[in-house]
Amino acid sequence: MANNLRDVYIIGVGQTPCGKFPSQAAHMLGREASWAAIKDSGIHARDIEIGFCGHVYQGMGVGQRTLKDIGLVGQPVINVEGACGSGTLAFWEAWRTIAYGQHDIALAWGVENLSKIMSGGPLPLEEDDIEVALGMSMPGLYAMRAKRYLDEYGVSAETLAKVVVKSRKHAAQNPIAQFRKETTVEQVLADPLICDPLTRSMCCPVGDASAAAVLVDGETLKRIKRDETRLPIKVLGCIAQSGGYASATGLTCDPSENVTRTSQMAYEQAGLGPKDMDCVEIHDAFAIAELIVTEALGFAKKGEGARLVEEGKSNYDGDIAINASGGLLSRGHPVGATGLLQTVEIVNQLRGEATGYQVPDAKIGLIETMGGAQPAMDGITCVVSILGK
Amino acid sequence: MSETEERKVLHPDFFTEEPEVRLIAGKSKSSGNWTFPPYLADPVSFQDDVEHLPLPKNGVLHSFTIVRRSLPDFPVPFGLGLIDFPDQKVRVMAQVEADDLEKDLSLGMEVETIVGVVRKAKDGSDIFSYKFKPAK
Repeated sequence: MANNLRDVYIIGVGQTPCGKFPSQAAHMLGREASWAAIKDSGIHARDIEIGFCGHVYQGMGVGQRTLKDIGLVGQPVINVEGACGSGTLAFWEAWRTIAYGQHDIALAWGVENLSKIMSGGPLPLEEDDIEVALGMSMPGLYAMRAKRYLDEYGVSAETLAKVVVKSRKHAAQNPIAQFRKETTVEQVLADPLICDPLTRSMCCPVGDASAAAVLVDGETLKRIKRDETRLPIKVLGCIAQSGGYASATGLTCDPSENVTRTSQMAYEQAGLGPKDMDCVEIHDAFAIAELIVTEALGFAKKGEGARLVEEGKSNYDGDIAINASGGLLSRGHPVGATGLLQTVEIVNQLRGEATGYQVPDAKIGLIETMGGAQPAMDGITCVVSILGK
Repeated sequence: MSETEERKVLHPDFFTEEPEVRLIAGKSKSSGNWTFPPYLADPVSFQDDVEHLPLPKNGVLHSFTIVRRSLPDFPVPFGLGLIDFPDQKVRVMAQVEADDLEKDLSLGMEVETIVGVVRKAKDGSDIFSYKFKPAK
């Protein structure tokens, strides 16, 4: 990779609440979040040179439909799809076009309205995928990972329930979260099983939302008319990787390999390591993912991710704040919007604006997004970004 | 029309039933690397010298779940598993059948390749493909 990349800053963010809004088309959610991000930055909307819109199920031209409603036409808009990593893949596109000097000001956003296409149950997947055609679903896949993990490391389903309890507790303070009611280990375990050992509340909900960020390069930051009371947040690292072969490297059909590989590249780009992180947003589509990814990102040894949860060390005011927003389990997982929701969350934390669940003295934060599954591969897309103030 | 001719089969190229049920994998002549299903080019040697060969009949159950809520066309509950073929370093995801899903499946057990019903067609008829069950 080129080492003469330009500095990139996030100067404005916006988001909608997460929930079920079947009457709101995706572009309506998108325009709300995008407009909020532009207003937050204080720049003129016309200064946006290019847009990248992450989504999965929202159809042709959703990005163009979004920007049309806020007066932005003509400039290039690229719709980005990378399964559940679509939002952060759109963010990565915006980052790299600025870092490599092609554009100075970009808008990245993610949109998804799932409740218009489904009321509940597992996400519809691609029928051309041989495993999907045989009955693979995302809860099924994560359930198999969970079963293996619990067995290998002597962890009980109770620990998975504790991940949900922490997630709900965090989300209770997050005004945009989908589930803001606290729960108990007993309630989580008493929920119906979706795929053993995952109960319903160990799986993320169906929901809708949008989130957006305005990105600029370091020189533009100095020259552009913007709201200077708003703290710019620097992108210290941003790496996207597609899944790798599992069968080429042995029997390691495990998404954590992809997360490990991508995060190591991001740490290297930022010149930082896991110990430098204050707050982290992890792609916890299912409770087991928080444990696996915590380890893959280097915050715990293999099999010891559960201890962070058990000992409260991953609470928002603990040693390493993991999913202070409530994560995908409780804030919500409107698939294409998720990566940008995570990014906005870390920006809010670094700006010290997460009232009620502010991570104390947060200076550096990490975002991990993991998208999809493919036979014999460790996922479709993984994106890891590191932000600092 | 015979019963065989009427049977709807998913992924017919990925298994054989003669002389016994086996999955058909790809093996690169140059690298010896296996993949399931066969790829166009081998990910180790980057050569397109991929032969289509049967995997052993029996594999090892790496993990499994009992799916109780699924996408349409899949009657629940059903078993879903990751099956390892250690000598070929191949892991296959497929449905796993058992008389009692709660009691008969365990991690690390030997399972055998079979053909059975995996889902329903839009008209409600059965669709067959490869799946696994505890080895005899």
